[in-house]
Amino acid sequence: MKTLLKTMAATAVAAATLAGAAQADGERYVLVSHAPDSDSWWNTIKNGLALAGEQMDVTVEYRNPPTGDLADMARIIEQAAASGPDGIITTLADPDVLSGPIRAAVDSGIDVIIINSGTPEQAREVGALMYVGQPEYDAGYAAGLRAAGDGVGSFLCVNHYISSPSSTERCQGFADGLGVELGNQMIDSGQDPAEIQNRVMAYLNANPETDAVLTLGPTSADPTILALEQMGLAGDIYFGTFDLGENIVQGIRDGVIAWGIDQQPYLQAYLPVVVMTNYHRFGVLPGNNINSGPGFVTADALEMVEQFAGEYR
Amino acid sequence: MSEAMGTIDERVKETSRLRRALIRPELGAIVGTIAVFVFFIVFAGDSGMFNAQGVLNWSTVSAQFVIIAVGACMLMIAGEFDLSVGSMIGFAGMSIAIMAVTLGWPVWIAILLTFALCVAIGAVNGWIVVRTGLPSFIVTLAFLFILRGFTIFFPQLIERQTIIGGIDRAAEGDWLAPVFGGKVFGFVFDWLASIGAIDVFERGTRAGEPIVDGIPMLIIWALALVAVAHVVLTRTQFGNWVFAAGGDAQAARYVGVPVNRVKILMFMFTAFCACVFATCQVMEFGSAGADRGLLKEFEAIIAVVIGGALLTGGYGSVIGAALGALIFGVVQQGLFFAGVESSLFRVFLGVILLFAVILNTYIRRIITGER
Amino acid sequence: MSSYDHNPIVEMRDIEKHFGPVIALNGVSFDVRPGECHCLLGDNGAGKSTFIKTMSGVHKPTRGEILFEGKRMDFASPRDAMEAGIATVYQDLAMIPLMSVTRNFWMGREPVRRVGPLKFMDFKTANEVTMEEMRKMGINLRSPDQAVGTLSGGERQTVAIARAVYFGAKVLILDEPTSALGVRQTANVLATIDKVRKTGIGIVFITHNVRHAMAVGDRFTVLNRGKTLGTAQRGQITPGELQDLMAGGQDMVELEGSLGGTV
Repeated sequence: MKTLLKTMAATAVAAATLAGAAQADGERYVLVSHAPDSDSWWNTIKNGLALAGEQMDVTVEYRNPPTGDLADMARIIEQAAASGPDGIITTLADPDVLSGPIRAAVDSGIDVIIINSGTPEQAREVGALMYVGQPEYDAGYAAGLRAAGDGVGSFLCVNHYISSPSSTERCQGFADGLGVELGNQMIDSGQDPAEIQNRVMAYLNANPETDAVLTLGPTSADPTILALEQMGLAGDIYFGTFDLGENIVQGIRDGVIAWGIDQQPYLQAYLPVVVMTNYHRFGVLPGNNINSGPGFVTADALEMVEQFAGEYR
Repeated sequence: MSEAMGTIDERVKETSRLRRALIRPELGAIVGTIAVFVFFIVFAGDSGMFNAQGVLNWSTVSAQFVIIAVGACMLMIAGEFDLSVGSMIGFAGMSIAIMAVTLGWPVWIAILLTFALCVAIGAVNGWIVVRTGLPSFIVTLAFLFILRGFTIFFPQLIERQTIIGGIDRAAEGDWLAPVFGGKVFGFVFDWLASIGAIDVFERGTRAGEPIVDGIPMLIIWALALVAVAHVVLTRTQFGNWVFAAGGDAQAARYVGVPVNRVKILMFMFTAFCACVFATCQVMEFGSAGADRGLLKEFEAIIAVVIGGALLTGGYGSVIGAALGALIFGVVQQGLFFAGVESSLFRVFLGVILLFAVILNTYIRRIITGER
Repeated sequence: MSSYDHNPIVEMRDIEKHFGPVIALNGVSFDVRPGECHCLLGDNGAGKSTFIKTMSGVHKPTRGEILFEGKRMDFASPRDAMEAGIATVYQDLAMIPLMSVTRNFWMGREPVRRVGPLKFMDFKTANEVTMEEMRKMGINLRSPDQAVGTLSGGERQTVAIARAVYFGAKVLILDEPTSALGVRQTANVLATIDKVRKTGIGIVFITHNVRHAMAVGDRFTVLNRGKTLGTAQRGQITPGELQDLMAGGQDMVELEGSLGGTV
């Protein structure tokens, strides 16, 4: 029992010093995301955050609800506020749940920047300094227009994060861009790669007339690539995806994927830290929101993307 | 053999009063609670964890765990598991949202109907378990999927989205909603703020108001459930039946304990607790989401096990489970205050769980003479 | 023996019990009178368990009748038999080790104080009665809160017996109470049986150990392959004869010879 206690304490001390090593005596910023631990896409955000912290010589911390439960996320924001940082950078995945804690943080004197999920209007409503990100519906709509131009009339939206409204907005935007009803063209794929692959295959077998596939990130795109290869549809069916990752980049080069919508998440973590640090040090603040995306990544000009895919891109 | 008996008796007589007072099911959890608080006072004492806002934060998170842990604890003592608690939380929240927002019914009706629905589902869970004799692990695992599936399906079907908001607006002026989403003893905090003991908002519409403006009903519910469950379990006839049903169902049946009824009632109570959790959450945040309550069933079971209950039933303590939940909540939130990398939370949780289970097993053997 | 002056409390007549094609009991007759210890002997698989389960209301007999104090009874459940006054102490299922002695003693029949809708358990009375009843049986408990698991096997059986006696059993069925016990604990349990018998309760003592049976039994009935091989009074039969009856023939003598001693 005593040894156990000691081991525990030792582990804790080691962990505390580890985290402490990154601390400088400058400002402290906390980034709170809504992503569950399993979502690898957020790695870019973590890297962007860490790099900005290093370059600006400030302390940065990344926090997320392990299961992606937004109610847990609200608690994390409250807690971040209680720890008294100089600023909080957070996503606004569900304004109903999160606006209360965010507003309370703002009112207690902490500056907030909204990134990724949410809209510029919502960011203003909760009293945030600005919004940095890619409006989801607009991005989906732009992608839909592009696909319509390429002759797409029906599609499958592989939604791996069905409980987040912003995911659904992407699919809805795409459908509206195409000018068709969303209807049953969106499936809840779950997060497991094998399940996603099988559901995509099942849907395409049941609906062979489907023109296009839209995935919402690497979580759904990677297994979808496998599904299409297995069905012999790779390169044949029109395939677009949100976000980038190593396999997606490879898919674009191979011609399996027509385009990837890059919202450039790196900027969503990097810029807020830079903006806030400058604001707190010198009182300067950009006059508007910052759109980090959408940018369409196609087979042309892949080199840079390829080099940093999954790390900074 | 007889000699061994003699020595055991002698040793038993030597046990001091202090030792006897200490050796109880909750001991592991009490030790753990003290250890955890000492740890965080040392490593996070000046980080804001123990200011009003920080205390409220980890108390609220712990209270959430307590509410579901109480139900899980009673059920586990009765010898069963409920893995559908997390899904039930999502389901109950969505049920209230659909009735109150989509259908526009008064919020109190939505709450009462949802409670009736959840408790009925709990009864079905229990009924299937006692009727088929299947392990409750499997039956409730089925309900984990069934309920989560409906929680995603219905709002999508009706509202074309997986989050339904606007419950706070619907609940305005409702008489029942504040029982779950309200705050009490606000005047105490006004007074504390007026003497400068706690911070006030610096700006915005609430400037000058205390940052902590009351104790959430969530915490009151947690305390009330612990008190009621503890008294029922340790002081009533029914409590004795709960222990008996989990200790040895067959032996209990032989002496006339209505084991099936006890188990079904405990499933219903667990569902009730999940519903309290969901209602408090929905009333506080004003929206219900399809992903609410994910993995909460395991968190409840972990809290109960840290609290000294036996996974196979027949042994445990509600107070222990509540302390287990407190440990869980304080560690989860406290690691952040202590500046520990968040991904190490699971490492800590695992270490504490292992430590608690070993200590609890040791204590239990002393008490029950298990070999 | 004064007990033979009484009429039987329970009388089982020509009991048959079939489980599908298997005939577990094929015409068993048995009775027990107040204040006697009637031993039911038999090897493993002889049908002892099925028989006592029939007697205690767990199984319904396929054929035959059960008379309780001279009246024909049909027990629908163990609860019925228990309410009539037939208490059974099962070998493994007697007690719940994780629970305290008091909680076990009162399990299912807790003394209650009503406060509103809640039935509070009256622990003061419960503890006092438990300590007193255990003292009567010759066991001084350290504390009524002591878990049954901390008691020895013999003490556990004694708690179960004390419980049955306290709750007014007229017939006490003991299912192999000594089979898992050491010498001294066995002696304690046999002494307890003797004490209980003297209070006028009829005891059915199931065992496959002839020596244990001979130590306390007033009458002996041997069961073999679902049939009774006859009932003998104390003093009319020797341990060796009983042993042979249980084994169903003369083989035991030969076997004993080859092993060089008494089995």
